[in-house]
Amino acid sequence: MCPADAPTQAEPALRVLVVDDHPIWRDGVARDLEAAGLTVCGTAGDVAQAVRVATATRPDVVLLDLHLPDGSGVDVARALAALEPTPRVLVLSASGERQDVLDAMTAGATGYLVKSASSAELVDAVRRVAVGDAVFTPGLAGLVLGEYRRLATAGPAQATPQLTERETEVLRLVAKGLTYPQIAERLVLSVRTVQNHVQNTLTKLQLHNKAQLVRFAMEQGLSE
Amino acid sequence: MERWWRVVTAYRVLALVFVVAIAATGVPPYEHPAVGAAVLIGLTVWTVVISVMCLRRGSPPLAVLVADLVIAAAAIALTPAAVAHHDVVSGAATLPGPWVAAAVLSVAVARGSLAGVVAALVVFAVDVIERGGLAQNTIYGGVLLLLAGGLAGYVVSLSRRAEAATAASARLEAATHERERLARDIHDSVLQVLALVARRGAALGGEAAELGRLAAEQEGALRTLVSTPLPVVDDHGEIDLRALIEPLAGDRVTVSCPATPVPLARSAAETVAAAARAALDNVARHAGASAQAWVLVEDDGDAVGVSIRDDGAGMDSDRLQAARSEGRLGVEQSIVARMRTVGGTAVVESTPGVGTEVELRVPR
Repeated sequence: MCPADAPTQAEPALRVLVVDDHPIWRDGVARDLEAAGLTVCGTAGDVAQAVRVATATRPDVVLLDLHLPDGSGVDVARALAALEPTPRVLVLSASGERQDVLDAMTAGATGYLVKSASSAELVDAVRRVAVGDAVFTPGLAGLVLGEYRRLATAGPAQATPQLTERETEVLRLVAKGLTYPQIAERLVLSVRTVQNHVQNTLTKLQLHNKAQLVRFAMEQGLSE
Repeated sequence: MERWWRVVTAYRVLALVFVVAIAATGVPPYEHPAVGAAVLIGLTVWTVVISVMCLRRGSPPLAVLVADLVIAAAAIALTPAAVAHHDVVSGAATLPGPWVAAAVLSVAVARGSLAGVVAALVVFAVDVIERGGLAQNTIYGGVLLLLAGGLAGYVVSLSRRAEAATAASARLEAATHERERLARDIHDSVLQVLALVARRGAALGGEAAELGRLAAEQEGALRTLVSTPLPVVDDHGEIDLRALIEPLAGDRVTVSCPATPVPLARSAAETVAAAARAALDNVARHAGASAQAWVLVEDDGDAVGVSIRDDGAGMDSDRLQAARSEGRLGVEQSIVARMRTVGGTAVVESTPGVGTEVELRVPR
């Protein structure tokens, strides 16, 4: 909704790593990104290569397909979360397999687009993810709402992340297809505030996920 | 079912061997050994015939079952012709002895427990008539026959049901595997290519853009197809609502669901899906050619919500009121009435120029 300004001389172009196992698709996307003034610093076709290239080239944004020959893009998202500085991850998925999408988001990705998105939408999404915005589709908002619901019924209450009323309201409107400016107008908020609410819903899930991983690791360590 | 016929046949052959062996010991001696031998030879021939039939083809036709029963009855009825009268009256074994149970079992396996009980009663009646009264052995034998006929029929029908259930679940599993395989393959190739064609087409413009638009349409349809769960009713009579709502997605309709199943009683789920479909039909008819719609499925634990929003022409509340006061049962009313039948609610809000929003809610 608020695309970053076009790169100027003083500001180096965004560096993007494209991860997809289909060369035709990879090249097509890379061409679109370069045409929009972004730098494609590398491409990768599987999990291992993606992690290697990302470690070597330190991209700003990783454009990530979830379906890879040697594993899932979720593995890549987890590995990238450990890098310093952490690259932003934009998931670009063809099948929209729900659990995979959700897993990638809780592992640290901050944006999700389906592959049917247009070139313009893709470039805009890369720029927004790069400046730290969360890029949601209505489908992703529906998944995140469902995940909070699942955690509330499944887990022990004290450890469960919860949405505020406002966050739920905003997320539901995203799921109903309203754009951030439309939501801002309806709820009489600034677009920035709407964006922050959306982002919070994701951050809380990611923190919860990280805490779960730490707890799991400690339990494993203690029991051994 | 073949194994049941193997069991019955094994019993029939073993019973015959037993009867012949007992007769060979000559205790008690037959008064007319020729009659006894003739009956046993007849039983042996028939045993071979019907055993081969059962082992080859499974359940024999009704005529053969009746013939089997008639032969058993005849063998019992011929007993007084071979065995001394005082032995018959005091409850000595009949000529066919336990062999007659094979005829009763056959009827029970082929036709169920009621038929089995009837067959047992027939054999029992013939035995009573043959002896001219009730001997203690006759009563024991009759009770055992009744139990055998009833229980065998019951057990066979149980196993038949279990077999059907196993076959159904095997079919479902095969279908699920096939879908998963298709989903992987389609993801890997067709969806990718369609998405690429859509992108390049849009970039090239002109006729290519039209091709691209068509490719995008098909991509959406395929993605929906491979990601929609199967509409299967589970043991509690519930169905995953997503399986009914997901297929409503299309060119202008976006559907958002949780990643986990949304189980709902089948009738409620079907009603909600029908109401959602009616709301989307209304969008297509009245919201305008360029209107988009979004469907959101939410699970609140004690209730399930489905909302349908469009960004079309909308209508003002005066028009809604006018339609109501004129007694025209518009789509709104039909949706509300439909939801009421499953204890749910429907709220329609519309703003001219902004669009219409329908909120469906059904309690668990």
